[in-house]
Amino acid sequence: MSILLRIHQWFSFLGSFASFGVAYFLQSIVVLVFVALSFIALIYIFRKYMARIQRRIGPNRVGKFGLLQLIADALKLVGKESILPEGRDDMAYKIAPVIVMIATILAFVLLPFGDLAYFGSLAVTHSKVTLVLMFGILSIIPIGEILGGISTKSNYALLGTMRAVAKDISFEIPMMISVLAIVMVSSRSYVTGDAITGGLSLSGIVANEIIPYGIIEPLGLLIFFISMVARASYSPFDLGESDSELISGYTTEYSGMRFGFFYIGLFGMVYLSSFLISVLYLGGANGPYDNYVGFIYLFIKTDILVLISFLIWVAIPRIRIDKFVDLGWKYMLPLSMANLVYAGLFVLYIR
Amino acid sequence: MSHWIELNIGPVHPSTHGIYRFRVKLNEETVEDVDITIGYLHRNAEKICELNYFVNNTIYFDRMDYIDAMNMELGYLRAVEALTDMEVPERAQWIRMIMAELSRIAARMVGIGALGLDVGMLTPFFHTFHEREKIQRIFVEASGGRQEVNYMSIGGVYQDFNDKIIEEIREFISEFKGKLEEIVKMFTDSEIFWQRNVGTGILEPDIALDYGVTGPMLRASGIPYDVRKDSPYLFYDKVNFDVPIARTKDNMGRFLVKVEELRQSIRIIEQCLAKLPDGPYFNPKTKKSAMLLLKGQGDVFTRVESESGEFGVFIRGDGGVKPYRVHARSPSFKNLAVVPIMTRGSLIADLIITIASVDAVAGEVDR
Repeated sequence: MSILLRIHQWFSFLGSFASFGVAYFLQSIVVLVFVALSFIALIYIFRKYMARIQRRIGPNRVGKFGLLQLIADALKLVGKESILPEGRDDMAYKIAPVIVMIATILAFVLLPFGDLAYFGSLAVTHSKVTLVLMFGILSIIPIGEILGGISTKSNYALLGTMRAVAKDISFEIPMMISVLAIVMVSSRSYVTGDAITGGLSLSGIVANEIIPYGIIEPLGLLIFFISMVARASYSPFDLGESDSELISGYTTEYSGMRFGFFYIGLFGMVYLSSFLISVLYLGGANGPYDNYVGFIYLFIKTDILVLISFLIWVAIPRIRIDKFVDLGWKYMLPLSMANLVYAGLFVLYIR
Repeated sequence: MSHWIELNIGPVHPSTHGIYRFRVKLNEETVEDVDITIGYLHRNAEKICELNYFVNNTIYFDRMDYIDAMNMELGYLRAVEALTDMEVPERAQWIRMIMAELSRIAARMVGIGALGLDVGMLTPFFHTFHEREKIQRIFVEASGGRQEVNYMSIGGVYQDFNDKIIEEIREFISEFKGKLEEIVKMFTDSEIFWQRNVGTGILEPDIALDYGVTGPMLRASGIPYDVRKDSPYLFYDKVNFDVPIARTKDNMGRFLVKVEELRQSIRIIEQCLAKLPDGPYFNPKTKKSAMLLLKGQGDVFTRVESESGEFGVFIRGDGGVKPYRVHARSPSFKNLAVVPIMTRGSLIADLIITIASVDAVAGEVDR
């Protein structure tokens, strides 16, 4: 029995509608708190890891081993004066960081978190189209970036926005096509050869993914990984921020907690994209005894991916915008098409 | 279609390497025109120098190129010594050479690290600063100053090298050889770094000569001009080193020339350490306390090779205890002037890298 139904039973005296509402609410909060905590742990690890690569010590002042540094930083960020640029488009300026943050956080509740021994299935959403929903929500994020960048009325922000949009668009299409290949491969069981429903839901894909799809279509994994790096906009694809050229791109004129929201969006996106890759290509919560510890498998896979992302982040310089767009349209798009054809052939003949 | 926007890069932009401002006319991402505005850091060093005694002015030259302070004060002291006919003992000259080369390495470390920063690599920046820090510890050991060292003085150096310093320098050099290759590998192993640098910021040799560009920028355009080789000072004619050039004329050529010069600096320091003689470290005929009475008459102009190019100092003495006029021909000022020509028509990302590879220091531009 899933955790959702359990909570629903506890609150069944409220009536079906209200008890489901309470159940969804409580479970979302539990999952989000857990994700947030592991996310904070990852940022701490990232800073220590980065410091080690750069022959520094990293945070070590606040708390034991600098463990409270992040909380101190968050408090500092909250306490900072919110400086508003003159001539801004007020509504759009204030709403943009919220859009970015909420869209990123919202995407987390759609993930199939797998099972954990006593609690049962941890997935919050039991929709049949979570894959579509997920990418729908992810496509909201550029709206926040555009609103934030253009409403600031600063040339740096304007250029940063244009770059961010060019970046998102030129890698959105290869990403979607490689996801389409996943949907095709998972539409048919490669054990029995029967058609399977549920190919558009992330938990359905994980359920069919007895062999990780990364092994079946490594090209798709590569394309998806690069596209997700581009979407999460960290180095070498951090063109939206490009701190050396455009200071901070579309976030230049944001200060205090409004910048913090963008920051949460950025790091959340790194984490989310690692989750998506491990769900779609690395078998998600699958593994031996996955009815008891599937959740832990998913987290281990994700954390390894995040650490790989961090290594890329600190090691690789920023690519130039024209080369970047070239990469998206001239190489990734044809490759993703080829991957789609390969997936079709795989489903039809190889299985 | 004239659809350009004007972007103000600087004075507080992270990539301007000091305080100056680039007013860039942009057509989308393409740079149409660059206008450099300087003067945000004007510290009046030349004018202040005319109010001081000769001996007091070293610190103002330290603060010009605060990254390569040793070469700056060497430039000034050579002019004063030429003006006042002061002889410098041999040991002091070798010590000056060691310090000048160490300072060059330290300054290069900042330049290369900052180039990495502008390309988007944070990691090499910390590694290069780590090496710079080791040199600065040697400076602290020798002079007590970390950044604005004020170590050399008229007629010699303020303090002699003791065994500890020599040992520290030996240790640093032997470690740095390997470390340098490691740092260079961080750059050259990266395909993106090559893509960003090759073919960007091209400077033709005739333009470079017209604008008075010197240093690694000129040598990367294929002209092997180095003051240390062409009009040797100190004992640069008694040590073996090469003047590297690049024929690519672009940012990558500049980077590779700078790296090769670092290797040559190591060679020079090794030879200096081997040849360091015993003897006085300060002109024995002069007393330090009598420095305020130093007088000079006539015009002198001397040159040294600083980290970013030829650093010339002009002093006119009217026979008094203070210089009548002091003027510095600073390399960064000339090198910066050529940036608009190098970057017209390129992308804004290339403009940033070109600024980084020019490696101008604002204190030297606005002296």
